[in-house]
Amino acid sequence: MLLNRKSYLYQMIKSELTWIVGDDYVQSDDAEKLGHSIDYYWVPEVWHDRGQKLTGPDFIVHPKTAEEVSKILQVANTHKIPVTPWGGGAGSQGGALPIYGGIALDTKRMNKVLNIDPISMTVTAETGIIAQHLEWEVNKAGFSTMHFPASIACSTLGGFIAHRGTGVLSTKYGKIEDMITSMEVVTPTGDIINTLPVPRHASGPDLAQLFLGSEGTLGVVTKATMKIHPIPESRKFHAFLFSNMHDGLEAGAKIMTSRLNPSVIRLYDNPETAKLIKRVLGIDRVGSYLVFGFDGPEEVVDIQLEKACKICSEHGIEDLGTESGQVWWDNRYKFYYPPYMFQLPQAFGTLDTVADFSHIEAVYHAMHDAVKEQYPKAAYIGHFSHWYDWGCMLYARFIIEQPPQDPEEAVALYNRIWDAAIRAAIANGGVINEHHGVGLKLGRMMRDLHGPAFKVLEGIKKTLDPNNIMNPGKLGFSGY
Amino acid sequence: MGIKPMNMDKHLDVINACRYCFMCRHLAPLALVTGKETDTPRGRALIADQIRMNKENLKNQDYVQALYQADLSGACRTHCVSSYDEVGLVLELRKDIVDAGVQPQPVKDFAQQFINPSFTITGEGDVLYFNHPCIKVHAPEMKTAFDKLAPKHKTIEGNDCGTALQILGYQKQADEAAEKFVKAVKESGCKTLVVPQPAAFHFIKSKNLLPDVKVLNTAEFLLTLDIPKKSGTLWPIDSDFLKNYQKNNAPRKLLEKLGYKLKEFGITHEESYTCGEGSMTMVFLYPENVAKLVERVREFAERYEAGTLVVASPYTKLALRTYAPELDVISVEEAAAR
Repeated sequence: MLLNRKSYLYQMIKSELTWIVGDDYVQSDDAEKLGHSIDYYWVPEVWHDRGQKLTGPDFIVHPKTAEEVSKILQVANTHKIPVTPWGGGAGSQGGALPIYGGIALDTKRMNKVLNIDPISMTVTAETGIIAQHLEWEVNKAGFSTMHFPASIACSTLGGFIAHRGTGVLSTKYGKIEDMITSMEVVTPTGDIINTLPVPRHASGPDLAQLFLGSEGTLGVVTKATMKIHPIPESRKFHAFLFSNMHDGLEAGAKIMTSRLNPSVIRLYDNPETAKLIKRVLGIDRVGSYLVFGFDGPEEVVDIQLEKACKICSEHGIEDLGTESGQVWWDNRYKFYYPPYMFQLPQAFGTLDTVADFSHIEAVYHAMHDAVKEQYPKAAYIGHFSHWYDWGCMLYARFIIEQPPQDPEEAVALYNRIWDAAIRAAIANGGVINEHHGVGLKLGRMMRDLHGPAFKVLEGIKKTLDPNNIMNPGKLGFSGY
Repeated sequence: MGIKPMNMDKHLDVINACRYCFMCRHLAPLALVTGKETDTPRGRALIADQIRMNKENLKNQDYVQALYQADLSGACRTHCVSSYDEVGLVLELRKDIVDAGVQPQPVKDFAQQFINPSFTITGEGDVLYFNHPCIKVHAPEMKTAFDKLAPKHKTIEGNDCGTALQILGYQKQADEAAEKFVKAVKESGCKTLVVPQPAAFHFIKSKNLLPDVKVLNTAEFLLTLDIPKKSGTLWPIDSDFLKNYQKNNAPRKLLEKLGYKLKEFGITHEESYTCGEGSMTMVFLYPENVAKLVERVREFAERYEAGTLVVASPYTKLALRTYAPELDVISVEEAAAR
């Protein structure tokens, strides 16, 4: 719904929104609309780069409280206009794009740490807080969230909740859905509800898990309580080189199935080792670079490290030592800064998925073949970066150095590659995504992935959001 | 619009790097209190990109306002692993805006007071103290404290040395002001110039305006004096210009040398708590934004039970005194003169 700025309806809605949050916190100027019309999804980037017209919101509204969010959603229901929650705007799937105009509900003013409970080891915060700020505030109290995503500096707690985000230490500390213990949610009709105060119970289905990953389609999460941890006495890393990815995968799986409890394992395939590990870390080797780390009491860490090293020594071709592991940790975010991160004119996409150990290698190769079939000149690189007792996540990427100049052709090619690659992943035991979400980019595959179960999700959506105001067109739900 | 080539063209690499990059948004001070995308380096780089693609966009007053509201703390550049100079991009864009004559009226009006300055020199001594208008008008206690510590010096005063004009995009007028300032300093015969206003200090140093004169900020100068030891705890708020522009740590060094115990203010050393000092003019042109920035400082002071805040910039002192008079704020000079 793109409103006519000169209509009295537009002014009426603007007045109502202004009465809720104040004059300073409703914007409709070109500059702010521009900022809210592009997230970290390649398609709007290339659209902007090629001078195409972008779709932005009619209004950007910055609520300060859940009560204000509730009132905004009531206004949206009255006038039946779409509402797209926007946190840091750094999502890669187009989830925060206001593709039908309406209200961009920017959550960043809801950014307070409300309580740190040192007895239960939890922190309660408003969800517009940037993850790095949350970590800094928790650090001041002597704790850590242990949530260290690449986007820690730019994404909000609510953003991570919305798409089930993860951080580099997820192997030990879990993804955001493992970290959250309870939430406050404003439903699409404006009710302010709370999930149960604890995440483990036998008191019916878990509403918290329903809203986790709902990408703003089922409401706005305004407050969350999450686990915090002591700052570990010791944190150590070690790196090995494997002649090929297969051997590295076997070693990583063995570390996990031995239940050694590493905080991180990251295995880079040979092409990514040659390309990024060399460029960013300065480690110039032929093979697959694997780094792992442990944290906790030093004597425990030393034993865990020793056992993991022993496993890797059986399969690896070179022990790169602790220094080559530490350098990865010290530079873990550097990969994502320009010019180290891929950027236009390149076309690139992160085809992240997850599968069990029996299938993950097949998923890797199937996606590789799908990408190459669609565009033989595309580079395909990947690393395995979030490990579970039963499997691991694949962070595969395709890169096209010179995509078509014509934006329509470029986007068509991009969509084709994505479609083929993710369908190949699903066919081989993977899923649509592991921690970036579905958004606009992959919504079309939700029905195929979930099968008849998707009707259950649609039913929930219709019940909670009868006017379909919340982030329409995302997560596979119907558009506006 | 007859403005080829554009000043912003020097920073096309910054546009390309920053327009789709979010990695420093957590350090964008104004964005943290307004929530606005346009108050982040990414938001401004997107605007710059729109102007790059279509010069007519330079006339868009929404874009122009966003570029003039920038806090210019430099925290983004300091944080960036590649040190992309988004501050430099904004400053060049402002020159393009002024060249095109489309700067906001309040900017035009404000700039007038700095154009065609004159300077006078008084006093006796080998050291010349720059009594910048921000100190003379808004924080004279900083000079009083300096006078107490170093009574024998000459004083140059009258106006800014071109800093504000440069920041507002008035390059030609800034150069003219700087020329007059340099002439006056040379006529003083002093070989040491103390510049207590960090913005002006950066301006003079970065342009190497006075290659034959030793240019020091106040803390650097006071480090050369024998000042009696102090005791107590202070919470320093670093200057954007000293920390992020000049990589100059003299205020903290001085306070430590004096014997003060320093406690980290806020939640991180990386963040700017100067309330818009990098912009030099925000407190005059966009006071509503400064009020929001001050509120964040006030909240942190309360939450973390900070005592006396010590600032290196008269700008920050003015901002805090205006919008949070209940806070105990002193300057580095005052801390030294206690």
